[in-house]
Amino acid sequence: MKDFKRAVLAVLSSIALTTGCSPFVDNNMIEEIAPVIFWYVADAGEGKLKISTVVPPLVREQKRLLTMQVDLLKQGGKDFNLIYYRELKVGQLRMVLINEEIAKKGLIRMVNTLLSDPAISPRLFLAIVQGNFDDYISAQLQKQPNLDYFLYRMFKHYEKTNQGEMTIVNLHDFLKRYYSPMPYPNLPVFKVSSNYFSYVGTAFFGRDKLKAIVQNMDDQIYQLINNDKYLKHLAIPALSTTLGQVRSSVQMKMNQDASSISVQVDLTGRIEEYQGDKNLLEGEQLADLRKEIESYLEKQTAELLKKMQRWKVDPLQMGSLSLGPLKKPLREKEWLNTWEHVKFDVDYRLHLQPSATALPVGR
Amino acid sequence: MFWKMDNQKNTDIQSEGHTALTVEALRHVLANMEDAEFMECETNHDQTITLIYIRTLIDSERLNESIIGPLNRCTDKTIPDCLETSRVSEIAGMSEGVKHLIEGSVLLCDTLQNKWWAVHLENPLGRAIEPSETETVIYGAKDSFTEQLEDNIALIRRRLPTTALKTEKFTVGYLSKTPVVLMYMEGLTNPEFISIAKEKITSIDFDQFLDSSQIAVFMEDHPHTVFPQFLQTDRPDACAYSLGIGKVVLLVGNSPFALVAPSTFFHLFHSPEDYFLRWVTASFFRCIRFFSYFLSVSLIPLYVALTTFHYQMIPLQILFVLTESRSKLPFTPFWEALLTLITLEIIKEASLRMPTKTGQTLGVIGGIVIGEATVAAGFASKVLIVLVGISAIASFLVPTYQMTKSTSIIQFGLLVLSSFLGVLGIVLGMIGMLAHLNGLTSLRQPYFAPVAPFYGKDWNDLFISSPLTWMKTRPGYLRPLQKWRYSRRR
Repeated sequence: MKDFKRAVLAVLSSIALTTGCSPFVDNNMIEEIAPVIFWYVADAGEGKLKISTVVPPLVREQKRLLTMQVDLLKQGGKDFNLIYYRELKVGQLRMVLINEEIAKKGLIRMVNTLLSDPAISPRLFLAIVQGNFDDYISAQLQKQPNLDYFLYRMFKHYEKTNQGEMTIVNLHDFLKRYYSPMPYPNLPVFKVSSNYFSYVGTAFFGRDKLKAIVQNMDDQIYQLINNDKYLKHLAIPALSTTLGQVRSSVQMKMNQDASSISVQVDLTGRIEEYQGDKNLLEGEQLADLRKEIESYLEKQTAELLKKMQRWKVDPLQMGSLSLGPLKKPLREKEWLNTWEHVKFDVDYRLHLQPSATALPVGR
Repeated sequence: MFWKMDNQKNTDIQSEGHTALTVEALRHVLANMEDAEFMECETNHDQTITLIYIRTLIDSERLNESIIGPLNRCTDKTIPDCLETSRVSEIAGMSEGVKHLIEGSVLLCDTLQNKWWAVHLENPLGRAIEPSETETVIYGAKDSFTEQLEDNIALIRRRLPTTALKTEKFTVGYLSKTPVVLMYMEGLTNPEFISIAKEKITSIDFDQFLDSSQIAVFMEDHPHTVFPQFLQTDRPDACAYSLGIGKVVLLVGNSPFALVAPSTFFHLFHSPEDYFLRWVTASFFRCIRFFSYFLSVSLIPLYVALTTFHYQMIPLQILFVLTESRSKLPFTPFWEALLTLITLEIIKEASLRMPTKTGQTLGVIGGIVIGEATVAAGFASKVLIVLVGISAIASFLVPTYQMTKSTSIIQFGLLVLSSFLGVLGIVLGMIGMLAHLNGLTSLRQPYFAPVAPFYGKDWNDLFISSPLTWMKTRPGYLRPLQKWRYSRRR
């Protein structure tokens, strides 16, 4: 009886500890495989996809760009193996860069394919690319052999603890937003040419289709009021001012009939650069500047919100304000109809922190 | 047939007990023994006394001082009264006489009265009490056991000066006649342990025992496992502590290592110093020891599993280094790891068998030169050499040397499993190891206590070393007769 109990216990522990493990294991000897870090997917016309990657991804050998035209995403992964001596594996796939044209047609099939592969981690960075990324890679491989890895490190760096510079979204984030009651995900947008790779702004999606891209000040405001709620630097050229270490606290309230939303933003930061005419050593002039910044940001934010209304996207998830314990949740279409007519009352309150050196601040 | 002949020889060796004790009979028994001495000594009133002894076993200076001198001056008193020593006993039979001789006694024969006496004059040959080399501590007592059984008993008695500390002597090995002393605290230690220990000692039947570990083999419930069921220690303070909490201690003649039982898997990770350091520090290092043990058995198998099957689990930054390191090697990760580990075991074994300074040189050559050359020659990756080094050092953190040795065997087992099934193989191996540990016993007490069976209160001295003020009770799994560790109820 004692032995029986022990045997049962051992079997139960084995089941508990090995759940999810498969007894059939792939031979993945690391020197025989090529775990690719990124895929670039573009539209090849006639319903085909063009997939590119760089091999070998991890060994210091001459790197080259592999490109395939395929019908299906997975077909690309398979066909790469036929033209390369190491088996390409996707277990370390960290970035999928998607051409803007494909994003406009819809991403959900591609995203679901990526998600359904158990080898691919949901911590996979997604990004939209304007221009031909292949040209950029081909031109840069000679100069920067580990370009793919450095790109991954860039994404990882800005993702970690919200660095407040750019939008970074992984597969899990994208799908979480996509399957939320307000399905308006966003992705970062990068612009490439043969010698140029730069962050442009944030792409807003209506469900899985790219609707619009916000850049410059609009993108900064979006980072501030929604994404990171933090900006290392908020440059306002119109007022010759740069605010530093800007953190925001956003309160949004919707009225009963969902006809208006008040957005109250408390900003904390310090003036790090000022090239205007005001004498900031005088309290009154400093207060004037503060008011100017507040009203400038209020105007910009209101305009951004109106643009969102025009594009029929709600990336700020304001529709969730209509949810309540005794309320019937609005359907997506109902909300979009309401959303177009919502009025906004935007109010910024800027709390300036004393600057360390030459800019004494009074209130 | 051969078995019968061997059996006959054994009984011949032991058959001297049936002969009458005479000088002639002793001459026959001690024939061809160069160090056996027969000496005649005359007393003042012309009485001749025959002295028989084995020269190499007795203290010759004390022979002159305590026996020959006093006998020469002896007048009309009886022999025991003449001798200047209290360790005189009258003997009758041959077997008793031979037993005393080989234990270092001088036999005195009064031919007129046909009486025999044995005077114990054993030569206290052996090393002095020295600091322990196998279980070194920074703080705490520095003395350690020697090969002298009496000294070892004294070292424990000084720490537990109470009549409750009982010592029962047994002899094992019909050739070696090895004395074994069973020590326990009467009224505290569970009588079941004492009776089991006695039963196991008395049932031992073998020719010779040269170390306590050999006796442990006969007393263990599971002699085929790699896990020691008797804690071997040469520290008297560790023995005294074990006795005080309700364990039994076995001291073995000519062996500086005592056996402590019942022992558990977890106590093999406890160091005597844990009770001398600040409890937070001691607990931290105890946890490090457990972690190191886990690391020493699983690090290399994990390397093989990850590099063969689960590249997805390796962080990209490390995968870069690993792939680069392994890209030009001729061996698969399994063979690479196996060959490196076998080389390491050869180096470890060789440096142990060499004299200290040569051993150190060998360690340096093995560790640095061979390691570096192996990488340069392309037989092993740099990463593996680093991991093997970490794994080897981690294995030495376990205070019990027997346990340190056993890690290699477990590591090889897990290595083979990981090469077939990857991480699943390691997990299965670990489950098997846990099941095996759970089935072991020491003096028929569960080896995996206080985890299984569960004794919650004993956990204050398990993974952490709580302050002594918190350890108010003796360990529950030992079922001591006195539960509380303080003398007055508060």
